Amino acid sequence: MKTSGILSVLLFFSVLGLIVYFPGRKWARVHVNSKTAVGDHPLNCLSCHLYTQKSGFISKLVNRKYMSPFNMAVSKEGDRLYVVAQEDNALLVVDPEKKKVLKKIIVGNLPHSVILSNDGQRAYVSNEWSDDVSVIDLSTSKVVDTLKTGNGPAGLSLSADNKSLYVVNSYSSNISVLDLNTGEERKRFDTGNNPTGTQLSPDGKTLYVTSRRALIAPYGETLKSEITVLDENSQKITGRRNIESAYMMENIAFTPTGDLAIVTMIRPKNLVPSIQVELGWMMTYGIVVIEQKENGRVIQLLLDEPNAYYSDPFDIVITPDGKKAFVSHSGVNTISVVNIDSVRSLIDKSSPELLNSYSDNLGISSRYVIKRIKTGANPKGLALSSDGKLLYVAEQLEDRIAVINTKSLETVSTIDLGGPNKITVARQGRRLFNNSGHTFQNQFDCYTCHPDMHEDGLVYNMASTDMGRNLTNTQSLRDIGDTPPYKWNGKNQTVYKQDGMRFSTVLTRTEQFNYKDLDAITAYIITGIPYPPNLQYNPNGELTESQLRGKAIFDRTMDNLGNDIPENNRCITCHPPPYYTNLKMAYVKTLASSDDSMLFDTPHLNNIYASPPYLHDGRAATLEEIWTKYGKEDKHGRVNDMTKNQLNDLIDYLKSLRAPAYEHNVSKKFHAKNQSN
Amino acid sequence: MRKIFRKNIPRTAVAVILCGICSVAVINSQPSAEKSPANAHSKDDAKPMPVYGHWKNFTTKDGLPSDHAYCVRIDGNRVLVGTHEGLSVYEDGKWKTYTTKDGLAHNGVVSIDVSELTGDVWIGTFGGLNRWSAGKFETFTQLNSGLPNDLVYCVICDGKDVWAATAGGAGHYDTYTKAWEIFTEKNAPMHEPWTYGVSAGDGKIFIAAWGGGVIEYTTKTKKFKDYTDPDGEMEIDLLPDDGIVHDITTATSYADGILWVSTYFGMSRYDGSHWKGYFDHDSGLASNFINFIRAKGPVVFICSDKGLSSTDGKSWVTYKKNDNNNDGMAIIKNFGRNDDNTINKTTKEIPLSPSIAHNFIIGVDADKDVLWVATEKGVSRGELMK
Repeated sequence: MKTSGILSVLLFFSVLGLIVYFPGRKWARVHVNSKTAVGDHPLNCLSCHLYTQKSGFISKLVNRKYMSPFNMAVSKEGDRLYVVAQEDNALLVVDPEKKKVLKKIIVGNLPHSVILSNDGQRAYVSNEWSDDVSVIDLSTSKVVDTLKTGNGPAGLSLSADNKSLYVVNSYSSNISVLDLNTGEERKRFDTGNNPTGTQLSPDGKTLYVTSRRALIAPYGETLKSEITVLDENSQKITGRRNIESAYMMENIAFTPTGDLAIVTMIRPKNLVPSIQVELGWMMTYGIVVIEQKENGRVIQLLLDEPNAYYSDPFDIVITPDGKKAFVSHSGVNTISVVNIDSVRSLIDKSSPELLNSYSDNLGISSRYVIKRIKTGANPKGLALSSDGKLLYVAEQLEDRIAVINTKSLETVSTIDLGGPNKITVARQGRRLFNNSGHTFQNQFDCYTCHPDMHEDGLVYNMASTDMGRNLTNTQSLRDIGDTPPYKWNGKNQTVYKQDGMRFSTVLTRTEQFNYKDLDAITAYIITGIPYPPNLQYNPNGELTESQLRGKAIFDRTMDNLGNDIPENNRCITCHPPPYYTNLKMAYVKTLASSDDSMLFDTPHLNNIYASPPYLHDGRAATLEEIWTKYGKEDKHGRVNDMTKNQLNDLIDYLKSLRAPAYEHNVSKKFHAKNQSN
Repeated sequence: MRKIFRKNIPRTAVAVILCGICSVAVINSQPSAEKSPANAHSKDDAKPMPVYGHWKNFTTKDGLPSDHAYCVRIDGNRVLVGTHEGLSVYEDGKWKTYTTKDGLAHNGVVSIDVSELTGDVWIGTFGGLNRWSAGKFETFTQLNSGLPNDLVYCVICDGKDVWAATAGGAGHYDTYTKAWEIFTEKNAPMHEPWTYGVSAGDGKIFIAAWGGGVIEYTTKTKKFKDYTDPDGEMEIDLLPDDGIVHDITTATSYADGILWVSTYFGMSRYDGSHWKGYFDHDSGLASNFINFIRAKGPVVFICSDKGLSSTDGKSWVTYKKNDNNNDGMAIIKNFGRNDDNTINKTTKEIPLSPSIAHNFIIGVDADKDVLWVATEKGVSRGELMK
């Protein structure tokens, strides 16, 4: 009786389990398939219900706040290391000998760079998302002043007399000259596109500014990125050197004698079909060497090797004896060591024709790269001790500083900055996002074409199945989790699908991500890529008069002539807040003859000012051109009745659009109004 | 587009009579026999009017791309000239020309200014606006930017701000924020969007608006004020010195607290309280048809269709080329006061050989001891006579 009773209960639960399991599993399969838009993702509830939560209790439970060291400065005595902890909005004061963080000084939002005054009394930290510089008294470790800058302050340099601070404004593409006596901005010069790096020549006479994005140009033209040269004495721009076929020139260093300036760079092959990936050469990485003499040559040298690429070069430093340069490669967790005498020798002995050929010579690096040193995840900023014996490496996604002996070229120790021990799923996703290990021969990673998780401003030839051109303007990944479908043709309904099999087939040409990695990279993309604040065009949510007039045009239902604008031709219909997309496909008569026949995914417009060029193939260099050049038939909104004043107002309004988080109130009002109608 | 001249016969008749009376009062100046005047000045002048001579003319034979020169700007050791066929730069005794092949928006260059803040050169053309910085041209057009119109008649730099007078309104570009503002009859007290000139001084912008006189914009308060011809008369200045002489203005220039305004019907001077009008019949002005003016300190240089004039408001120096040869003269007119307070008018003529390149003058710039002039038939360079 007792045994039969137990058996009955077991049988009951077994039957119940089977009844629940089969239909339940079937339901779960349908559910997961619908959420991932693929048919093979494992039935793992945690994938979506835990790791991709953007806010709330669960999000706080599973995610961590990391330090993310980005750039550094070393005191002259070598006893202090000042580390910019980007995610922690702080400057860390580190004792490198004791390997201990002594103090944490809170600065502005998303600090970028730090520089020390000659007397070692002050540190200046640029805050990229606050549009200011924190002035820190190092004797008290206190922020004693905050200096206003242009938009997106990044690289810093001090004038030779330490009276002026040069601040590179990466978003507004200019450089501010701050008077350190008054704290006022004295001048602002336009630079190349999206500048970051800056360095004063050893003689204190010339300031160089590097830029990351290429100058906007029609597809098919040779890519050009600018290095801007400022004369310290006259305080005037004296040079704008176009570096051809290169971009992402993150940083620059001078040899101590000042005979060479060396800049990190990427050479993208965006004009050839992306199918080229399996043949190599999609992206190559190296340095630009600029001779500092009259009619000095500009030579591009690769740091790659045949069948092995060293992606995402970020920082460069040169030892005080001028013998070695160190370059951090964020995409392959490696430091390249360059023998500068070998570079000089190569340049001196090469004919102009040979020098030109080096920019495409993968084997030439063996002539001057003397060592590759492995690091932790995502090495970014580099700093040398004043005697040049130690190299410090900011391992951004390791929350750690690596210490390398510059003679033995070995990592001798690491300094833990005290970040969380746990690597969350999203953090692992960020590591994957920044690592080229998943691409054939390490040619590139997600970050390469999506620097700062945004976009690189280039148009790529994404060859379709029938080998049309299908030019594709790279899109920003900021906060895209809620704006499916993905790709301009809207073929991928979810991030899982976007980064799954198709991604490996078309782009990386390797094995696709395993599901664990796919979950991780999806979690990162959905939860971890915020927009910068729109400090240039909409710092506090109060629209200017022009922006308000532009909003009225954006929202309008009647044109200037009093005619009704068809609902599907109103701005607000396809671009409603908070993302300013209705998530639908649209026809705006921009299909090119080389495109496959298709509709286009309506893009989101948050921070749209930061994403030139525009339209699916980047044909519009500016927002104005969307309508002045490519909207003549009124298929992309009713615009041809507008005056120039009205168009300017509309553009002003579009530039004011901010991150969805700011726009939710606007969205509520919009939807409430629609419902009441 | 242009204001239609009103036909008001009774008012015109009164004006003609008044004009005749005025003309009688002005006649009787006698040419001087002096050959070498050091300078021109009236008795109560503190500073003498500068006189320029030793003219040297440049044409296509010297390397200019075109003899049609629209504007000239001195920039340190070099001189920038806008011509019908491009931007030409004179440096170290040589001309170098830049055209659309180099990145110029249009070869018709009609206005040039240099930013004191950055050293960047801003260039107004018939096809857009250029910034020329360290050898690189950046182009703003009505299609790719907020520039009101591609016909940019005048461009000036005022600190970090750039102002452009265009056929579609006045445009203001903030080089820091990279934002454009447009001012037209829709949002400013203009008669129509067509603007010809713009100048800056003492925190104010002075826009020469076609048919709308002068629009004064205070940069701090962002408020407008307009100056129009009070008598509203389009053919003559009915009441002297009652305000701006005509609503169809061609240029403004501000220096030493004085606003100078040119029209095709005479010139005006405004000291902040009072207006004074100048015409060819009652002053040393070469012609009432004035293309452009530029004030430098107390002196204004006036580009007309019949020669180049300059004045400090009292003394006048006019440069004219002979019709039949390359020579010409500088005509100096002084309007001083005698001991009995009556006006003492004197006229002197200094022979010039050669003279300026042509009497149709469109652009001028002065710096220290040098005067450059853009004319219909080449560019002229004069030196201050000691």
